[in-house]
Amino acid sequence: MLNDDELLRYSRHLLLEDVGETGQQALKNAKVLIIGMGGLGAPASLYLAAAGIGHIVLNDFDHIEVSNLQRQIAYQSSDIGESKVEVTKRKLQQINPEIKVRSINKEMHEMQLTMELTMADLVLDCTDNMASRQLINKACVNAKVPLIVGAAIRFEGQLMFFDHSEVNSPCYHCLFPSSEEQALNCSNSGIIGPVVGTIGTLQALEAIKYFVGLPSGIKNKLKLFDGKSLDWQTFTVNKDPKCKVCGQH
Amino acid sequence: MKIQINEQVVELAENTNIEQLLAHLNKPLMGSAVAVNQDIISRSHWADTILNEGDNISLFQVIAGG
Ligand SMILES: [Zn+2]
Repeated sequence: MLNDDELLRYSRHLLLEDVGETGQQALKNAKVLIIGMGGLGAPASLYLAAAGIGHIVLNDFDHIEVSNLQRQIAYQSSDIGESKVEVTKRKLQQINPEIKVRSINKEMHEMQLTMELTMADLVLDCTDNMASRQLINKACVNAKVPLIVGAAIRFEGQLMFFDHSEVNSPCYHCLFPSSEEQALNCSNSGIIGPVVGTIGTLQALEAIKYFVGLPSGIKNKLKLFDGKSLDWQTFTVNKDPKCKVCGQH
Repeated sequence: MKIQINEQVVELAENTNIEQLLAHLNKPLMGSAVAVNQDIISRSHWADTILNEGDNISLFQVIAGG
């Protein structure tokens, strides 16, 4: 049941036929693990906290640097040197004291990640490197936890959703099969803030839709965003039967 | 035969597969993703996916940043 404060706070959700009180209660019961508190994790976590996701776990091991502030909008200049997860946790609680936020201020290896996944309904991959992305994918496939992946560089964004609770779901590794990929990241290629912000915001949107029971437009799809033309391209990701992570190997 | 790669028309030999296409374009295999007519082709199928006249190929790089 929602209390009076919550009925007021979420009144714009309650007006929506697709959310309503049932949907809001589902958001309140939801447990989301957000890995990476950079340009994707900042807007994603702010929106999910504001929307009333009841249990949010934040994971990062970085401290805030001045070069982050150009795009990581959860932080301000006075936060420099502080832990990203601690500052974000404080911000989220200020936005919404009705929710529970927990922070994990270290790099999670497979065992701890697997343990965390037993307590998560959904994972947002907001990380900035290929090794973490492969590790998160593998752990989510094994734990059968749905995964929303965002990535951005320069003026380009990528967005995908794999529901690993479904038996024949493809996975990130079907798409990008190596952790040694010469993948582009923000420190070697540069990034425009609103591009990474757009992708992080859409990760939050897809998470909200997942919990209120709306179908996703990106399930088993890869969406490419071009921040110059504002064009989107949509591709279907097929399960690779030979995939070392999700296939019959 | 003519195919489209990222909206550019390219003339290609018959029976070219994806691996040969990337070599022809001097693109690295690692870090690339390929879609044929909006379907992503897994890397394990690059050698046995033969391209056809009129195919619409999308070629892009893996992004890891965030
Ligand atoms: Zn797979």
